[in-house]
Amino acid sequence: MLNNKKYLDTIYNYKGEWGIDSQCGLKISSAANGKTVIIATELYDKNPGTSVTQWNTYLATELCIKNGIAPDKLIFIEHTPDKGSKLAFYNETFYKVDFEWDGKKFINPNWEKIPKETVEKLLNG
Amino acid sequence: MKFKLIYPKWEKLEGQTTFNLPPHGPVVFAATLPEYVDIDFVDENVEPLTIDNSCDFVGISMMLTTQIKRGWAIADEYRKLGIKVMFGGISTMLHAEETLPHADAIFLGESEGRMEKVLDDWRNNRLQKVYNFMNNRPDIALVGPARRDILNRDLYYHKGVQMVDLFHASRGCHFSCYPCAVSYLGGRDFRPRPIHKAIEELETIENNRLFIVDNSLAQNTEWEKELFKAMIPLKKNWCSHTIEDKPEVLELAAKAGAWYVYQAVFDTSDYIRNRIKQYHDFGIGVEGTILLGLDNQTEDDILRLIDFLLEIDLDLAEFTVLTPFPHTKAWDDMVKEKRIFNFDWNDYNAGKVVFHPKNMSAERLQELYFHAWNTFYKDETQNQKMFKLFRQVVTKEMDEGTYRSRRMDLANSSFGQKVERKIASL
Repeated sequence: MLNNKKYLDTIYNYKGEWGIDSQCGLKISSAANGKTVIIATELYDKNPGTSVTQWNTYLATELCIKNGIAPDKLIFIEHTPDKGSKLAFYNETFYKVDFEWDGKKFINPNWEKIPKETVEKLLNG
Repeated sequence: MKFKLIYPKWEKLEGQTTFNLPPHGPVVFAATLPEYVDIDFVDENVEPLTIDNSCDFVGISMMLTTQIKRGWAIADEYRKLGIKVMFGGISTMLHAEETLPHADAIFLGESEGRMEKVLDDWRNNRLQKVYNFMNNRPDIALVGPARRDILNRDLYYHKGVQMVDLFHASRGCHFSCYPCAVSYLGGRDFRPRPIHKAIEELETIENNRLFIVDNSLAQNTEWEKELFKAMIPLKKNWCSHTIEDKPEVLELAAKAGAWYVYQAVFDTSDYIRNRIKQYHDFGIGVEGTILLGLDNQTEDDILRLIDFLLEIDLDLAEFTVLTPFPHTKAWDDMVKEKRIFNFDWNDYNAGKVVFHPKNMSAERLQELYFHAWNTFYKDETQNQKMFKLFRQVVTKEMDEGTYRSRRMDLANSSFGQKVERKIASL
């Protein structure tokens, strides 16, 4: 169950590892300085396939190509939503993921945990 | 054709009693092979493997991450002899990319209804590198009965006592548990086998003690009740993972032969205390499964948990260290936070710490893991507690007239190895 859909405008279907049908929540928004913020939300029980984290390089590449986003203009955020569980590992988190671009696709993800306030600033300019 | 099916060995956990159960993946897979295939099965955990060219095709079935490097090594040797090797099983699916260089083919998914095509490809020298059925699960009605006849049965006895046979009545899991890859492997849809097919298979199993290895039977109450009702006449006794805690379900489970269940114990709450009591009220034993190293656990929490376990009258306890297997949330979180320091798959056995815990050092978590085992079994050893649980089922079998005495011809061996029997008074 997702308690907060603020960071999710649509459900995005993608083919994950070995072509397995997968889903994530998606929000694409313009940020200041001409960059585009993509927030990919892990759907847990509703995602039948590969997690956003495991598939982030392919997902980010696919989304940039589909939406005409230049690789160097992307701000990619992985969002794990609050599941409403008493277990701490289902709390809400945001990770900004930096990638390298090899000319055709993103590689070598590097995660940085960021507070919600940073996400809000990015979304609200 | 001669098909060599191999189940690679792995290093057993330090300090624990080793029990080799007849592996389930290989016998389920063997049932999906056409009848003309002559299967020679070797479980390397109980018998030696001779690598030679006496077979036409090799299948390596791997369940555990800690098996995969051995599986790769076996495949490499066979491929040097010019014999093609295909991998399958749970850890093949979790480590598919890494397995590819060691394989002529990898099979991803469930093989029911698929192997005729694979063998036809092999025969015509067009074996595919990947048989990918991750998105395409077979009709669950095609499943089973498993080919338990391929097992070398005498090797699964401990001092004349037969080990439980494994069986599954469903696939898939709609839960999304933190350390678990099951939803990746079997899908998020719960797929129960038709009751009559499950019973048909149970009737083929001579062993009257079973381990029902379903991820969780507690996913569809009506199906679960129907299954238990249908099992009652078979008079099998069995252990399983969690069953639903509704009284009417537990009553049926007990009548159907529920011997003991694995119950996760994750805190010291009354919920857990009451759950254990409820199982006991219905005559069902409980083996607690305790995961150590979660981010919300401090050292004090772990010590308190161990004390709690001793209070709640658990029949057995199994302690494991949180292990970030690929395709789990645990893996995702640990990778993001760069907390995994050991990627040697041999060490991914749930007994070695391979990541930096949040509230203590890795070394301290490792110490607490051994402390947990030693403390819980301080007054009564694991063998003594297991004997008590075993005596419960023997008593029940004697009442029911289904008891079989131990095989005296195997009384001095354990999983194929000679041992000395110590007759001790309790």
